[in-house]
Parts: sequence; structure tokens; C-alpha cells
Amino acid sequence: MTIAVYFLISVGMVIIQGTLGTHLAIKGVSPDLCLILACLVGFLAGEYKGLAVGMTVGLFQDLLSPGGIGVNMVLKGLAGVLAGVITHTISTVTGTAILLGMWILSIGCGLASLVIAIPNLDMTAFLHAVTASLLPKSVYNSLLGLGGYWIIRRFYQPESMLESLYRH
Amino acid sequence: MFILILFLGLLFLLPNRSQEAFRLIGDPVAGILEFPLKLTYSLKETLVGGWESYVALQHTEETNRTLTLEVARLQGEINALKEQIIITEDLERLLAYQKTVPMKTVPARILGRNVSNWYRAIVIDKGQQDGIAPEMGVITEAGVVGRIIRVNPRTSVVLLLSDPNVAITGMVQKSRDEGIIQGTPQGGVHMKYLPPLSSVQTGDSVVTSGLTGDFPRGLQIGYIQNITKADTDLFQSGDIIPKVDFAKLEGVLVITSFQESIPVNLPAPLPPPAS
Repeated sequence: MTIAVYFLISVGMVIIQGTLGTHLAIKGVSPDLCLILACLVGFLAGEYKGLAVGMTVGLFQDLLSPGGIGVNMVLKGLAGVLAGVITHTISTVTGTAILLGMWILSIGCGLASLVIAIPNLDMTAFLHAVTASLLPKSVYNSLLGLGGYWIIRRFYQPESMLESLYRH
Repeated sequence: MFILILFLGLLFLLPNRSQEAFRLIGDPVAGILEFPLKLTYSLKETLVGGWESYVALQHTEETNRTLTLEVARLQGEINALKEQIIITEDLERLLAYQKTVPMKTVPARILGRNVSNWYRAIVIDKGQQDGIAPEMGVITEAGVVGRIIRVNPRTSVVLLLSDPNVAITGMVQKSRDEGIIQGTPQGGVHMKYLPPLSSVQTGDSVVTSGLTGDFPRGLQIGYIQNITKADTDLFQSGDIIPKVDFAKLEGVLVITSFQESIPVNLPAPLPPPAS
């Protein structure tokens, strides 16, 4: 049942990314909803579920994008794992921790995919891509992720987080 | 009794005179009746008005709610129909164009855009089952859109001309100079390797040269926006304003096959003249 729910959410998120992603853009910067989903699942449900959902949503993303299959699958899976690890590592999961965690993961993921997508980028173009797209996108992702985290926490208290709190 | 009957008989036998007599009596009586009649009428109107305005309006709120919902639904339908008309007009224009071009094309609709970071790409609703293959060219009636990069059974991914990973051969229509057209990381379109002595000017039209296998010669790409050549550069280069608005694409044509500009099956060469 849980697997089916995660699967459906992953499919839905890729569809939303493809159809509504451009409508969510602010001054040309659109969020990476799939990365947000992978991180949120990692934060809320642990690294294993983060890995599974990240890889699933990344694979779907790869199937509908020009890059090689496996790039997004690996990057999103990694983001999901690291999000789960962050939750287990820090003593108290606060909004700031989520915001910072998602921002760092977003920058890492964005840098890796930029280098893979446009390998022959000169320094000027690289700096332009980082300042004009990567940094605003990472801020947008982290803010949306934090909003999603708060909304989910209002209605759902995952066991993994409670365990984490008890353990500390 | 007899006198009464006689009187009534005279009234019928002498109608004009009896009418005058009745009018003499009737006018003042009518005046007496008019006031209560008007009063009764106005009372009735007030009562009926009150009934209709207040008592009978007890269902109006519900009716109003229903009608408001109905109006919202109908407005939604109207908007959907307007949208459908626009899409249909776009597709009709595309299909009309499809009939005029000397190549085999498959019309497709856009399903999604930029699913992944950094790539400028669209997803179309035609795939392997519709005869689509990688490296096929994608166009609209305005000009070149991009190239098929990934094919799924029922969908395909098109890399737009504005993506840095796309490069096609182009030609300045006026000066006939050829160059490579490539997307830029900023989302623009750039033409490079133009001959150093080319007379290309701002505003010149750029078309496909037909040298690569995915586009026939002469398809519109855009206009030269500016030309630059540094002292250390061997070639000229310039930015291009694409004719296609990539952000507003609704439908595209995928070129599945086309007649080469130069026929492949050339007639056999004539034998050399006998010396």
C-alpha cells in the first residue's frame, strides 16, 4: 500500500513538473518539484524511502528529458538518502534545518546536473548559470520544501521522526 | 308589477334615452366606486408585491446559489471552448502548412516542457509507434523548433533549438553564407563560423542549409540580431532572433522524411564525346 502511494505520488509529481512547472516559474526560475519530493520523503520518512522515491521520480524524469537515463535517478536518489541522513544526524529537526538542508542538496544536485547537461560550459557561462538560475532555483526549492514540510507535519507525524526524537 | 315590466320594456325599447339617464345616474356612482377600487387595487398590489418580494423569495437564495454555480460552470465551459477554438485554429494552421510542405511530417501536440533541469526541451504526444525516431527534425509553420532526442513508445522528447546541446547547419538567405546554429546557455540562439568576409547584415533571414540529414534546405530559422567579430577570431558570429516562440508552442510537425534538395538518383552521366 505504502509503495503504491509513493509510486503514485512520484508519477504525479513528474507530471506536475512537466505540465505546471513552467507556470510556477518566477522570473524564469522554476522549482525542481521532483527534488523537493525526494528530499521531503527523506526528511519525513527516512533515508531508505527517500532513496526509493528519489530514484523512482528521477527515473521518470529521465524518461521525459533529453539527458541520459540514470542521471536524475542517481542524483534524486542521493538527495533522498542525504535528506534522511540529515534528519537522523541532527538533534532537533527544525524549520531552519530543513531549509538549509534542502538548500544545500538543491545546490549540489543542480551543480551536478549542470555539469552533466552542458559539459563544455566556459567560466562566464557557468557563473551566469549559477547566479542567474542555480542559486535562485535552490532558494525557491528550499522555500517550497519548507512549506511542504510544515503542511505535511500539521497532518502527519511520521514514525521515523518520532523515533529520532526519542533517540535523542 | 305591470308598471315595473312596462318600465323595463321601455328601457329596452328606448335604449339611447335610457343610456343617457343611466349615465346621469352612473357617473357620480362611478366616482364613488373609483376610490375604493383604486385603494383595493393598490392594496392588492402591495400585498402581492410584498408576497413576491419577501414571502415568495424564501427560495431565492437557493436559486441564486444554483444560478451562480451554473454561471460559473458555463463560464468555465466558455473558457474551455475558447481554448479549444484557439488550439483547433493552431492545429488547423499547422495541418494546412503540413499539406504545403514537400516532406512527410507527423503532427504532434505538446504534453510537457522542461521536465528536467538545464535542458530546454518539450515532450510531444507521438513516439516510436507513430514512426518517430531520434534525430528527426521538428518544425512549425513559423520555422525550426528543434530535434528529437529521445523516443518512447508513445511520447518523444524534443530538444529545442535554444538548448546548447543542439546544433544545426544554417545559411544566411541573402548572402548564402553557411554556419552552425546553436543554442546558448542563456536560452538564445547563436550562429557561428560565418566566413570572415561575409556580407551578412543585421536583419538578414537565416534558413536551414540542408547539409544535415534532419532538415531540408530552406526552412526558416530566424533573423540575424547582431554580428560580431573580434580581431583574434577567424570567423564572424552573430545572435539570431528565432522565428518560433518556443514558450508558446502548442503543436509541432515532426519531419519523418523529405526529398533531398539534390536528387539522390541522378541520371547516369553522359559518355565522353568521341575525340
